[in-house]
Amino acid sequence: MSVPEVTAVFGYALLTALATGLGAVPFAFVRTVSPSVIAGANAVASGLMLGASFGLLTEATRYGAWQTVAGAMLGVLFVLAADRVLQGHEPEFGAVRGAGARRMLMVVTVMTVHSFSEGIAVGVAFGGTATLALVITLAIAVHNVPEGLAISAVLHPRGVPVARCAGWSVFSSLPQPIMAVPAFVFVERFSSALPYGLGFAAGAMVFMVLIELLPEAYEQARRATVASLVSLMLIAMVLFQRYL
Amino acid sequence: MAADPTLTVLLYSSIAAGAAALGAAPIAARGRLPVAWIGWANALAAGFMLGAAYALMVAGLDRMPVQGAAGAALGVGFVFLTHAVSKTEDLDLNRLDETSPAYGYQVLLVNSLHSASEGVAIGAAMAVSRSFGIFLALAIAVHNVAEGTVLSAILAGWGVRPRDAAGLSVAANVSQVLLAIVTFAIVSAVPTMLPWALGVAAGALIYLVMAELLPECYRQAGRISVALVTVVAMGMLVLFSGRGP
Repeated sequence: MSVPEVTAVFGYALLTALATGLGAVPFAFVRTVSPSVIAGANAVASGLMLGASFGLLTEATRYGAWQTVAGAMLGVLFVLAADRVLQGHEPEFGAVRGAGARRMLMVVTVMTVHSFSEGIAVGVAFGGTATLALVITLAIAVHNVPEGLAISAVLHPRGVPVARCAGWSVFSSLPQPIMAVPAFVFVERFSSALPYGLGFAAGAMVFMVLIELLPEAYEQARRATVASLVSLMLIAMVLFQRYL
Repeated sequence: MAADPTLTVLLYSSIAAGAAALGAAPIAARGRLPVAWIGWANALAAGFMLGAAYALMVAGLDRMPVQGAAGAALGVGFVFLTHAVSKTEDLDLNRLDETSPAYGYQVLLVNSLHSASEGVAIGAAMAVSRSFGIFLALAIAVHNVAEGTVLSAILAGWGVRPRDAAGLSVAANVSQVLLAIVTFAIVSAVPTMLPWALGVAAGALIYLVMAELLPECYRQAGRISVALVTVVAMGMLVLFSGRGP
């Protein structure tokens, strides 16, 4: 394993992280911000994250169902702990305070933590050789865009400018290049950690959707609207990932 | 044992429908249930349904991704339309103090339509493999117990005795048996329909969770307890479906 190869893996993984920022682009065209827009955006983010966790679970259970579920329960506990910590404080996120800021912080935190597992997946996917590098990089880059969309869907309706949304989206994916390199170098050791990591990411995302995003969506929008957005986004995300 | 596969579908979908009767047991034992319990029963039902939808979606997309996803969109559209046509899209399904006949009719209608989608799920899963079908039917059976509890609690508010509530809970699930057999017959005869059927079932189940079960849960119990019950129930299904159909 040569130094240029390792640098290449880092570079490719960094590119995929930058692609996450593209998820903010659609919000350049969204002008109005009302409670029902926040609710709709929450539903969109929920669907995308549930779909992403369906994909993660499919991938993770290939390595072992028990390990996946154990990882998922750790993810749930992580979000629960983060929720407790943020409840005790008066969180701030940009100009937003209180419950809105808590949701924004949670989404950015969970998506960032989930990128660690994805980084491992990237490194392992390179599988000790960088031959398929371009294909894998493209696949993961495209796959990251809806994740940026999910983050921006939570941040932008609460007043974060599009450029900052893109910045936070890229930030949330930075653990990917950071984790991809050690996973690439020590592929054997890291592949046994993969089901736990992917399970953790899935558990954290599902649980965050259930405790933060959906309750608020139901308060502000009709059930049929929320349910349609969540279901269709989930299906789109699952299909999207299947082809990449 | 080489039983006729249709009989297997009949047997297991009947077990699933019959399990709803057990849902009346907590009402028989305790009388009126605290509202939070009803919320947790709904959350349990939601988690099992999400897990089942996950398993169906994976099975459908593994076969033909586009057809599976198109089927799922159809499933979402189907339930959306049945809610809209029956004017039940904003119906609060768990009003314990509402006793008008119109409300009772709507609740039973919604419950029957709900279990029809689960019938499609059982039938399609049985066509994938016997073991996957049995797994899914048993998951729906446990889910039905929780739903039976919710329905029995509403019926108890009308003065229906637990024994009769158990019977009505099963009756509301009869459509499940019918749809399971019809779906199984169709996809067995036309195997190219299988990814579509799996998709329809997955989409319908997800939509039902989002439109009927979760909104009720959050009003009945705290968001954290609801989320915990849901995610643990879903995790159990992911664990058991992890061995793959």
